Amino acid sequence: MPMKIDAKLGLDVFKLDKEPHIVIDTEVCNTVCTDDACLYVCPADLYERDDQGRMTVNWEGCLECGTCLICCDPRALSWKYPGGPYGVQYRMS
Amino acid sequence: MERVECIVVGGGLAGLSAAYGLAEAGVEVMVLERGDYSGAKNVTGGRLYLKPIRDIYPELWDEAPFERPVARELVTMMAEGAHTTVEIASDRFTAGAPQSYTVLRARLDQWLAEKVMEKGAMVVPNMKVDELLREDGRVIGIRAGEDEIGADVVVVAEGVLRLLSSAAGLATQPKARHHALGYKEVIELPPGVIEDRWHLNPGEGAAQLFMGECTKGMMGGAFLYTNRESISLGIVVGMEDMRRRRDGTESWQLLDEFKELPQIRPLVAGGTVAEYSAHAIPEGGISQVPRLAGDGYLVAGDAAGFCLNALVTVRGMDFAVAAGHLAAEAIKRAKAAGDFSAAGLASYEGSLRSSFVLRDLETARTIPSFMENPRLFTHYPRAVARLLESVYTVDERPQDGLVKKAWKSVRRDFLNVATVKDAWSARRI
Amino acid sequence: MDIVVCVKTNPDLEMVRVKDRVAQTEGVPYKIGDLEKNALEAAVALREAGAAAKVTALCLAEGNRKAAEDIKTALAMGADEAVVVDDPALADPDEAAVAAALAAAVKKIGACDLLLFGEGSSDNYTGQVGARVAELLGLPQIGYARKVEAADGAVRCERSMDDMIETVEAPLPAAVTVVSEINEPRIPGLMQIMKAKSKPLQVWSLADLGLEAPAPVREIVSNLAKEQDRKHIVFEGTAAEQADAFVDALTREGVLGR
Repeated sequence: MPMKIDAKLGLDVFKLDKEPHIVIDTEVCNTVCTDDACLYVCPADLYERDDQGRMTVNWEGCLECGTCLICCDPRALSWKYPGGPYGVQYRMS
Repeated sequence: MERVECIVVGGGLAGLSAAYGLAEAGVEVMVLERGDYSGAKNVTGGRLYLKPIRDIYPELWDEAPFERPVARELVTMMAEGAHTTVEIASDRFTAGAPQSYTVLRARLDQWLAEKVMEKGAMVVPNMKVDELLREDGRVIGIRAGEDEIGADVVVVAEGVLRLLSSAAGLATQPKARHHALGYKEVIELPPGVIEDRWHLNPGEGAAQLFMGECTKGMMGGAFLYTNRESISLGIVVGMEDMRRRRDGTESWQLLDEFKELPQIRPLVAGGTVAEYSAHAIPEGGISQVPRLAGDGYLVAGDAAGFCLNALVTVRGMDFAVAAGHLAAEAIKRAKAAGDFSAAGLASYEGSLRSSFVLRDLETARTIPSFMENPRLFTHYPRAVARLLESVYTVDERPQDGLVKKAWKSVRRDFLNVATVKDAWSARRI
Repeated sequence: MDIVVCVKTNPDLEMVRVKDRVAQTEGVPYKIGDLEKNALEAAVALREAGAAAKVTALCLAEGNRKAAEDIKTALAMGADEAVVVDDPALADPDEAAVAAALAAAVKKIGACDLLLFGEGSSDNYTGQVGARVAELLGLPQIGYARKVEAADGAVRCERSMDDMIETVEAPLPAAVTVVSEINEPRIPGLMQIMKAKSKPLQVWSLADLGLEAPAPVREIVSNLAKEQDRKHIVFEGTAAEQADAFVDALTREGVLGR
């Protein structure tokens, strides 16, 4: 059976900031966006809609690849790199 | 405002290469790196073509922490249920000075950063740059948190997302059409197992690329590089194709499905996944290279779009090192002339144009649009498999002769209007 | 008042990978221990409040070739000077050897009214070094400090105990070991990091301190955690049934209801 994506992310080091480095303007998701690309382009599977239909992102497990940002034509994401000592730290890659 | 002569934004291979050349020439240089160390935020597929850059900083490479010199090259065309692999093991890939090595960035970049510091440059980890400071259109320094630091020249080696240069209006924001997502697992395997599985002499490495089924017809492919005690196994998929896809396929599942294929399973059997990583890749080719130099700044590495996916060779890190070196050369000239304006730094672009960096990107100008042809990832892998399946198949019926079998297959799959058109558009790649 | 803060650099434990039960430390960056950062922050805060004149960071290079580089973080955080005792003989010292070297270095530094430590190091956390150094120097020592104030030739600390907070005062010079509640260490900005480059940093050997290579008094036989097999028991049924079965199983194992 394939390894769960959460288990894969569990192999990486994430140093957690107190503030999210990705903020979603859900208004844009619900009015302008037509493809919900973030739901299936993210290689860490971090995006999901909550039970109220709002787009959410589990930014803590972000690999900082920026794919969601590049694929989000409606520009619903305010996306920056985590600052200071935070974010993913690869030990091999 | 505190000042240094040169600030390098980004401690990857381009930034470190620039800093090495500058520090060696006694230029005061400070590298700002987001990660815990250089390499902590970087991802490679895995292979560095060393041959093009061996003569740049020749004293460096003999002690570089490479994984394995690549002695064996494999390309696998994947149709559903049938994989065709073309393989070459050539003495000339490894004789004397090997042309390419598999690498892991956490090791490689961290080592290079130490070399840069030995030359007298300052490399500051855990330091994210928040803004390129501009005055009258000229880049005059950077802001990191609350601190503003001035510089005669800023080397923008910030990586593929170009967050700073696009915010400063020096480049456009990256577009899905010109980018691919690459992601991989590093899977630990004992060295002896790696050598047995890929038929390698001790210490030697293999590079294997896959195209076809692994991306479900989307632009891209899979890759496998053998490291010393692990393999890097991953997927590259065009972002535009991926987001246009509406069949429920999620990007991260492609690798799992790939690993489960009966043809791939034995390659990873017994391995332990040790890391999972992802990165965007600039695949727009030369048409997407931004302005490379302006008043007070130069751009290098992924931020400059210096990356070339030519189907069987995938390059970027060698371009980064070369561009960093040429940036350092241009800055040294600008310093001698006391002119860090666009005119003073213009020799950078000139030397890139006469180097392999922009020449090879120019040669490959048509590849990005050629690769938008979906038949490359669907029809051709299938056609090759059908051809070989037909000549290798023996059943209860009377068999055609070998040539007749092959000819039937060639006529059906390779001689039609579409393939002739494809051949025509491929004539210049 | 002059303060000396003893800091230890150790591998960034978050970055250590374990392969076949062995910690992979190759390429793992060293950093100043968490509690030592608290101690540094406390010292710098005292100086900024006008209660101290100078803060010196003191570090042993325990076979860590880059300690002189890593200690610059302490300078960037606001220490005025740094001293590194770097000696191959300190490659794997025990707590007695560490304390002896630190005590000798503190004497050589000379002016030291308040000696600050983290309560324990981020890697081994033996919690011995602060007390040992205090003993060697004949200083009063206050442990588990969650607040440090210094005035009128005395240091007054709040100590974090299990079920109470104890306030203790000692005459200076004194040694204090701090816990994480004491403060939130600052993350130095780029300007501070650049300024740290030109602050005084001295590197001494054991010979400079008049010490000989320490004779090891302990031997590490093994530090592997005991391997334990999981029980692999899966409980079926409704949530309530599963909970009951789970409690029963824990009771059978002797984990509950002893």
